Amino acid sequence: MFFLPGALFMGAFLIYPIITMVIDSFYKIGLTGDRTFIGLSNYIKAFTAGGFMKQLKNTLVYIAVAVGFETIFGILFALLFELNYKGSKVVRSLMMSPLMIAPLVAGLIWKLMMSSSFGIVNELLARVGILSNSSDILWLADTRWSLLACCIADIWLTTPFMMLMILAGLQGLDDSMVEAARIDGAGLLQQIFYIKLPMIKPVLLTALSVRIIDAARTFDIIWAMTEGGPNSSSETISIIIYKTLTRYNNTGYASAMAVLFIIVLVAFTLVFMQSLWNPKKKA
Amino acid sequence: MKNSRQTGKKIGITVSVVLTICWLFPYIYVICCSFKPGADVIAVPPSFFPKTFSVENFTGLVERMDVAAYLSNSLITAVTSTVIALLLGSLAAYAIQRSGAKLSIFLVVLVLCLKMIPTSSIVVPIYELICRIGLYDTRIALIIVYAAINMPFVMWTMLSFYEGIPSTLDEAAYVDGASSLQTFAKVILPICKPGLATAFIFTLFLAWNDFLVSLLLTSVNAKTFTVGLAGFLSAYNLDLGPMCAGAFLFSFPVMVISIAAQRYIVQGMTAGAVKG
Repeated sequence: MFFLPGALFMGAFLIYPIITMVIDSFYKIGLTGDRTFIGLSNYIKAFTAGGFMKQLKNTLVYIAVAVGFETIFGILFALLFELNYKGSKVVRSLMMSPLMIAPLVAGLIWKLMMSSSFGIVNELLARVGILSNSSDILWLADTRWSLLACCIADIWLTTPFMMLMILAGLQGLDDSMVEAARIDGAGLLQQIFYIKLPMIKPVLLTALSVRIIDAARTFDIIWAMTEGGPNSSSETISIIIYKTLTRYNNTGYASAMAVLFIIVLVAFTLVFMQSLWNPKKKA
Repeated sequence: MKNSRQTGKKIGITVSVVLTICWLFPYIYVICCSFKPGADVIAVPPSFFPKTFSVENFTGLVERMDVAAYLSNSLITAVTSTVIALLLGSLAAYAIQRSGAKLSIFLVVLVLCLKMIPTSSIVVPIYELICRIGLYDTRIALIIVYAAINMPFVMWTMLSFYEGIPSTLDEAAYVDGASSLQTFAKVILPICKPGLATAFIFTLFLAWNDFLVSLLLTSVNAKTFTVGLAGFLSAYNLDLGPMCAGAFLFSFPVMVISIAAQRYIVQGMTAGAVKG
């Protein structure tokens, strides 16, 4: 049984912790480790005032904005980069180079660029004339902008991933379909909207679901840029779980939120798999 | 008609090149910043190109943090955990793929679910577990956790590769008298080298780039570079120069490797997706 070593390892360090977490979520755990069984209180707390509704909303906004723009840019870029010409491979490689940069580093880079006094983003915006003064938008210190600022960093980091997926889909297409459409007189836009996009729908959906889940669990970028602040305006569920655990030392409550978070993501994954990918292709 | 398509193409090429440059702008900016004198990084108004070339930020970086120790922590934990995850993961995936039982479908789905679990929620119990067995702030703890977290990813990647190998091959080896382990090591693995390479590079980067786990599980001895780098956040903004130098130092090898090994990375990202 080759499965055993891997299974044991994952059982001990992945599945066992999840089980303890589920158990912990029903307890109130004090600083000294004393445990009191409190049933569902932790869960009820999560859904009531002072719970994580605000973080949930932030997470959803973050997913919608970041993944939305990544998809649009990804499609546009993929269509552009699909062109083959001398050097197109080099350009594509360069475009994809942010792919592997640590999210933390991406966050730090954007924090530097968006800082209020010496950030280059505002300086450029001011020079182009969009802002009258380079300190008009305090990206990271303004509750209206902080979450959006994190989204921008995320978009920068992962649009290449979207582009890569869609490009792979486009290149797998049969050219003759597009050729036939062209001969029938379809314009460029028609070719894109009626032939190319519908045909890569499976790839598009997979990329979307992967990104939605990744965006939902983003931690590094937001932590690097704002640590969830100011005034928890950019706090997502990942951040609040971490803060509850380390700053407030409330292991039970943190576990309850983590359990909810896992359930939602796993449910999403399963629903999505059902509709798209059938595990029984070989059965 | 032909002409207009030619111009269209030229416009497309120009736009794509311009876009690429824009997209790389933040990175180029950081590189420029890391070679500026420290004071220029936080000058108002900011400038793009360094006015004078200087390595001041790198010396500053070395003064403020133990670069060598943090880098070696990052490297050791990333490489070791990757090897473990790859060994155990590829074996387990092979077993799942070949057993062909009803159970295997369930296991495949389980692996996928494990892969989707957010690190931020799993770290809560992992933190407790590691503390309880007394491994807090050790490299071993990081290695174990990275290996466990990344194993589902390895399995997922390898599953799609094994699928492409006809099981008649296994049977042939079996008929020739090879044990299952021999079949796996001498017949299957060599065919899967591209798959292994893909999984290796990915897992390596995942562990190398990790921040959350090592933020939570280390304090002094086993601190990795990302955590060290984040330390500049809490310090006052004056340290941004060295921070840029650190960011550059940390991600430059990654960029080089990822461009060199792009074939494998593209495979890893699109694994399972394109076949739809």
